[in-house]
Amino acid sequence: MADTTETAADISTGGAADQAVSFAGAVKAFGAVRAVDCVDLEIARGETVALLGRNGAGKSSTISLLLGLNEPDEGVVRLFGGTPEQAVRAGRVGAMLQDTRPVPRVTVGELVGFVAGTYPAPMPVAEALELAGIAELAGRRVDRLSGGQTQRVRFAVALVGNPALIVLDEPTAALDVEARYAFWDSMRAFTRRGHTVLFSTHYLEEADANADRIVVIDHGRIVADGTAEQLKRAAGGSLVAFDLAGAGPDGLADLPGVVSVEVRGDRARLRTDDSDATVVALAERGVIRALEVAPASLDDAFLALTSSDTPARTARTFLETV
Amino acid sequence: MLDYLRLEVRRTLRDTGFVIGGVVMPVVMYLLFTNLGDGADNEWRTASMIGMAAYGAMGSALNTGGGVAEDRTIGWLRQLRITPMSPRQVVMGRALTGAVTVLPAIVAVLVAGGLVNGVRLDAWKWAVIALLLWLGSIPFTLLGLGNGYRLTAQATGVMNMVCNLTLAVVGGLWFPLSLFPSWLRSLSSYTPTNRFAQLGTSVADGHAPALGAVLVLTGWLLAFGSYAVVSYRRTSRTV
Repeated sequence: MADTTETAADISTGGAADQAVSFAGAVKAFGAVRAVDCVDLEIARGETVALLGRNGAGKSSTISLLLGLNEPDEGVVRLFGGTPEQAVRAGRVGAMLQDTRPVPRVTVGELVGFVAGTYPAPMPVAEALELAGIAELAGRRVDRLSGGQTQRVRFAVALVGNPALIVLDEPTAALDVEARYAFWDSMRAFTRRGHTVLFSTHYLEEADANADRIVVIDHGRIVADGTAEQLKRAAGGSLVAFDLAGAGPDGLADLPGVVSVEVRGDRARLRTDDSDATVVALAERGVIRALEVAPASLDDAFLALTSSDTPARTARTFLETV
Repeated sequence: MLDYLRLEVRRTLRDTGFVIGGVVMPVVMYLLFTNLGDGADNEWRTASMIGMAAYGAMGSALNTGGGVAEDRTIGWLRQLRITPMSPRQVVMGRALTGAVTVLPAIVAVLVAGGLVNGVRLDAWKWAVIALLLWLGSIPFTLLGLGNGYRLTAQATGVMNMVCNLTLAVVGGLWFPLSLFPSWLRSLSSYTPTNRFAQLGTSVADGHAPALGAVLVLTGWLLAFGSYAVVSYRRTSRTV
């Protein structure tokens, strides 16, 4: 049954069906706010992709479009060459949504078992609970679990249908460090099976450690797309930091090599293509108090890519030339 | 969809609020109201039995809306939308859950009437009364759904309770209409609850429900049905 559908989709859409996820010029506005602003994104089958952004950057809105919970105002969203609704109805998608609370008055086993029954080819419930690390909780009521356990139940709900694509919207938000590590262990056990995974997060180290590829989103736009290494390089070679000592940040952006300027308290942080030239220029201005020069970290890359004084388009173009 | 029905019925029956408010309360109130003081005559024992069964059925029917509001608030409806179940199956499953969960209240009060209060009716009358009360609860399920799709879980609870109490008292489910002033009595005959109970009492008296009862209930069915549809359309965009 699933095979027939797939063949039909391949014939009708050609190469697009090779992609698990495909956004073309997708726009979604809520009032005056463009939560998703002209997003183009392709995710191949079997990829593990992190959608990285600050709170309110447009991650959840993008995921809502992807799952068919919202319709784009403009542009097209396709999953496996068909509409999101078709993919969802065919049981090819599983998801862990943000801002859902535990379903009251059901046990873990009942809930996961019910969801499994709605999919055409689910994995055994026991296997899903095992993968999510909650085998021993099957008989417990979902609304009487800890935060970390609840999150794992939601993970089991997302994966029990054995879907080709699994989407996790901030799966580790509000988890403590230990629970977060335990969650990613479960997660890696699942991705090794060759499923396509898209997860959103605002933790850089999670994106770095668990994804093949990082898509950075800011103000509803994709500002960078690549591996962690590519992002670091794209962010510019080095970071030069020093105390302003009351000098003010005027003119710093115009110094040689400087790509972006960020001031935190009294300390200025310049991202630069050419740290030597920048430091020389700073020395000429006499502002080298507590000077520090370091290679850019992924954190710096993220801040640089999403800081408001970096035009989104420039950053993306920049990355593509790397 | 049957799995969904089973899951939701289970969740409803595990809700202590539902069991107490929708099943235990009507039975207790029935037994109290008919046995306090001098006790009641046979006619009131039967009429009150039907009134309280109708009251319990209405409470349970409205509770379906409370369930929907809760599911909406906690994100369960969103989660269902990304399972392979179609939206129509979800809505149908919910409506069937409402139909099933109305039954315990009706059965419990009728059993209390027959076993405790010694109400004697022909077997076919028991069956037809139960069936009519079951069918007659549909407008109230729709009213509950209308509230549940429109309001927050908390507001739905309050709204359902207000609807429940007002309609029960004004419709004469708790006290006989003969105690009402005449203006209230004439108002009462236009309420869905009064006509709902009348379905049962006319069968107990041995004749078919009056045309007026069927007409008034049909009117309310259409009104509450439209309300539910409008509410659903309003929220389906944001669920």
